[in-house]
Amino acid sequence: MIRIEGAAWASMVAHAEGAYPNECCGAMLGSNGDGVKLVREALPLENAFAGEQAARYELRPEDLLAADRAARERRMELIGIYHSHPDCDAYFSQTDLKNSCPWYSFVVLSIRNGKFHHANSWLPNVEQTAAEKEELSY
Amino acid sequence: MPKVLIPTPLRQFTGKQDAVAVPGATVGEALNALTAQFPELRKQIFNDEGKVRSFVNVYLNDEDVRYLGKDATAAKDDDTISLVPSIAGGRR
Repeated sequence: MIRIEGAAWASMVAHAEGAYPNECCGAMLGSNGDGVKLVREALPLENAFAGEQAARYELRPEDLLAADRAARERRMELIGIYHSHPDCDAYFSQTDLKNSCPWYSFVVLSIRNGKFHHANSWLPNVEQTAAEKEELSY
Repeated sequence: MPKVLIPTPLRQFTGKQDAVAVPGATVGEALNALTAQFPELRKQIFNDEGKVRSFVNVYLNDEDVRYLGKDATAAKDDDTISLVPSIAGGRR
């Protein structure tokens, strides 16, 4: 299960709505214990995809390295990654799956007409062949 | 010995250690020593052919080893090796 605290969630939604009609992406920092991942801070990152960003995102590894260092310095952990799906549902697409990493939770925010609609969290497997839905609360 | 920083979700395989010092004169030797010490880590980092998985970028300090000497990149005692995920996606 993954729980996202209010301020972090507000930051994620604001980022996703602000990036509309493009996709946004970022890192989620927090703690992980007793089977519950708690996201305490959202770290917006730049969508580095070189082409049309309305349907794609890409994270720079250097930005993720910096996010991991920021988490360690603040005694938090890198819990997962979030990104938005403009004008469609919060599914985990084949593109999402083939470019995922099984170590993290992937929260997808559906944004419709510029406003938040719904969200899901996904846990991809190590072979990048399937992703299981994870219980999400915010 | 070079030190490998362990991403949070993988610490379950390293006895909760967030960093592990491992013997090895190269990045490849260090990662092989790490996964020999913690065999459950191997599947997370290497594929069945023994190659680093496509979603793993290996950094030596601040440099991606793909742009250095890949697995053969020399690793010194005070070097830090990081495992950084390669992540992208999109609605289509």
